[in-house]
Amino acid sequence: MKSTHTTIPNAPRPRWLSAVGLLGVLAMACTVWLGLWITPPDQVQGNLARLLYIHPPIATVALYWAGGVAAVGSLLYLWPRTRSLFWDRLAASAVEVGALFSALTLVTGSLWGRPVWGVWWTWDARLTSTALLLLLELGYMALRRVPADPTVRARRCAVAALLVAVDVPIVHFSVDWWQTLHQGGTILDPGFHLHVHGSMLWTLLIGFIAFSLIFVWLLGVRYRIEVLQDQVGNQELEVSLADRWSEDTVLAGVGGSSQSPPSGGAP
Amino acid sequence: MSYVDAGYAISLGALFVYGLGLGLRRRRWERALKVVEVGDAAEPLAPGGRP
Repeated sequence: MKSTHTTIPNAPRPRWLSAVGLLGVLAMACTVWLGLWITPPDQVQGNLARLLYIHPPIATVALYWAGGVAAVGSLLYLWPRTRSLFWDRLAASAVEVGALFSALTLVTGSLWGRPVWGVWWTWDARLTSTALLLLLELGYMALRRVPADPTVRARRCAVAALLVAVDVPIVHFSVDWWQTLHQGGTILDPGFHLHVHGSMLWTLLIGFIAFSLIFVWLLGVRYRIEVLQDQVGNQELEVSLADRWSEDTVLAGVGGSSQSPPSGGAP
Repeated sequence: MSYVDAGYAISLGALFVYGLGLGLRRRRWERALKVVEVGDAAEPLAPGGRP
């Protein structure tokens, strides 16, 4: 049977994505080596400062990269001129990967907060808004699993992603809007003066690059899964339609009437 | 294990496990697509008959 249903091109795995993944792993190894063995302990926090080579980069990915891609993808899907399932799939992939990074932000922050603040958790504005971000992302993922027509699902999810996006500036400005236990800028103060210097600064910057590259790689692989899921769904729909059509044809033959296949449908 | 070691182990471990899971999911869906495509092509529809 020749396929007549609109299918998504079965694109090969892009090589640039593998290169990004490899670079991400190398940068991550470099971050761990510098962060755990090369950089000196902090004067005030001692070795606990080493957690800050991974916590701010993870939080940056969760908040700005994942939140940004989800927001832009959803807006471009909702905008009639740019409406394409590409944007919906991209946003869905960003939210799932972002949920992992949000969870890791909370875990690494908690591991740092226990010895420094004396508590695993406090209802601080930054912590609470970050936890809310994770909950919104999990809600988005649950909504995406609700069976629906792809376009209906995409529209629902785009609106849900905008709710996730609303929380992003709240997390960012929470340390300015409210009195919080969480400190303000980690690298730059409001006057754009550096707080971190030397090997500590380089380690942190490499950490930002490493986690960003890993995010891009995970996003690419997750996007590929979204495309494959849609392709399988379309093919199964075609088979079901063909089955249904052949049953109708048999019944029509028994009944003595003739039927012609609908245009654009299964033969 | 110190808080620092735990932080690095959990972060890198979670990313590794998630990445591995994504790779396995991708392979599973690629296989599912092949099965559906092969099944689709191997069932020529006779005129007026069941596939």
